[in-house]
Amino acid sequence: MEEEYLSEYGPKWSDQRAGRMLGALVCAVVGLLLAMIVTVFVRAWPSFSHNGLAWFGAGGSVEEQLNQIYLSGLGGAEYVYTFHAWQLIWSTLLIVGGAVTIALFSALFVSVFIVEFAPEWMRNILQPVVRFLASVPSVIYGLLGVLVIVPFIGNHLVTESQKSSVAGVISLSGYSLLAAVLILTVMIAPLMVSIFSDGLRSVRPGWLEGSLALGVNRWRTTWKIAVRTARPAIVAGTVLAVARAIGEAVMLAMVSGSVAFAPNPADGLIFIYEPSRPLAPTIVKNIDSLGSPPANSTLFAIAAVLLFSAAFFSLTGWVARRAMRKYGATA
Amino acid sequence: MRIKTIAISAIALVALAVPASAGAVTLIGSGSVAAQPVLQALFSTYTKKVNHKVHFTYLADGGNAGVKDVQNGTSQFAGQARTPLPSDAGTTYIKFYLDGLCIDVNPKNKLSNISIQQTHDIYRGLLTNWSQVPGSGLETTIDPVGRDTNGGTYNFFLQAVLNNELPSSNVNALTADGLVVNAVKQDPNAIGYDGLAWQGKGQKALKVNGVKCTSSKISVEPLKYPLSRYIFLVLPGDGSSSPPALGKFIDWARRSPLAGEVISKAGGVPAFNKKAKKH
Repeated sequence: MEEEYLSEYGPKWSDQRAGRMLGALVCAVVGLLLAMIVTVFVRAWPSFSHNGLAWFGAGGSVEEQLNQIYLSGLGGAEYVYTFHAWQLIWSTLLIVGGAVTIALFSALFVSVFIVEFAPEWMRNILQPVVRFLASVPSVIYGLLGVLVIVPFIGNHLVTESQKSSVAGVISLSGYSLLAAVLILTVMIAPLMVSIFSDGLRSVRPGWLEGSLALGVNRWRTTWKIAVRTARPAIVAGTVLAVARAIGEAVMLAMVSGSVAFAPNPADGLIFIYEPSRPLAPTIVKNIDSLGSPPANSTLFAIAAVLLFSAAFFSLTGWVARRAMRKYGATA
Repeated sequence: MRIKTIAISAIALVALAVPASAGAVTLIGSGSVAAQPVLQALFSTYTKKVNHKVHFTYLADGGNAGVKDVQNGTSQFAGQARTPLPSDAGTTYIKFYLDGLCIDVNPKNKLSNISIQQTHDIYRGLLTNWSQVPGSGLETTIDPVGRDTNGGTYNFFLQAVLNNELPSSNVNALTADGLVVNAVKQDPNAIGYDGLAWQGKGQKALKVNGVKCTSSKISVEPLKYPLSRYIFLVLPGDGSSSPPALGKFIDWARRSPLAGEVISKAGGVPAFNKKAKKH
């Protein structure tokens, strides 16, 4: 009788305790995420509903609009919401796009080298170095940018005639697209390298050996079999890097130039020296105006766009990886 | 056995949470970044030399945020570098000490004096080349540097120099006073503004309307230097509900000669402190 009771209740519960607690924890995490998304979108809604799709469009100066929005929230007058974020969005696209493109190619070659070609001793040095680089806090990169790269660009690369050609509109003092892209590339490339090389390492040796046995040279084997099989890992690494790049605020606020301005490729070479300000640093720079309700809503709208694009990229990455699973790769 | 361990650690946690010595007071403040160096110096001197039991924490989250903290009760006082606005309802401003906003250029720039009007024109994008500013000895494009809207210095500059017009788009707005100093130091064509505490660090302070940016020109009423201002402490309500320890500290900081020395060492200008008696 007593034994039966024990087997019915005692051991069963002690078995499941850990499982249930972890399950509750997972539910709490998911709930927290949902609550956060709902909060951000509810707060952002007035800004979106007043502007409609024009929110994403161009028109006027973002700086002046933000100032109007902020001031309207202080007095008793009607709130102003007019906001056209194109300058910020374009800057985000340019900086993130540029950095991810450069980082993708360099990280791919570096990880192929580490996994397939580097001698053992070099691999033993490179791997920890890459892991360490991937975890350096972004503010350190920001400091390096402000102290080294920005003055170098401002004092040595930009010429006086280039500066005077845009005088009064923007200043080409080194805070630029170039500095932002360079530093962001250095920041996200190690993350990509470590994920890419994990993917390359998990390619089944038999496949590579089979190809080599057929007389295909090593470079071609690497390129056609290893890299191709590791594609899901490449997608996963790129998506993570894009997400980190989009959300980067501190470093970009320090080096990108902090002026809401849309750099124009039609300007020629000057274009890469032009300052701009992506979405995430805009929140940091205007944090003081959170007390004004319409400004609060506008900043949350920016946050909602960032949140949505991060979710979009991780979803795209998931779909892409599913589609590639038929190549038999693991990632 | 296990329950015992949990109980002991719980008691230990509670014990940690209780202040180490009875009767100690921690005063919580936040606000102006510009006031931070002076306030921190005052805090540590007060705790070390006047009252060991009073401790301070100060979060430099910007003057406007500090006033918000006082209004909603998360801070007991705030440092503030601008004069009261209508949105500061329900708070009391106390004049604390004086501060000057210096206009700085790179040491390579030969300019020694600048007028408020010239500064206004530079930051509004009307003067864009150093050749338009006589005496600079430069023929290059001006790189104006300023603070973002979070800074007390930005608001002061906006009111005192720009007549509340927004700076033009070629002004690079940086996130901290230290970054402004850094930018001016590294760029021969730059011009920037920041407080007295930041002077003499690889940048050159200009005379403004012919008056030097030094503490001796700022401390005497009427304020001769055009860009001088009071730094305020902001208290909730009419100030009477603040803890007595805070009141004592404010009195000490405003009146005592020792506090006066601390303020000037940290880059501020004492406004009301008695001069230390010379022996």
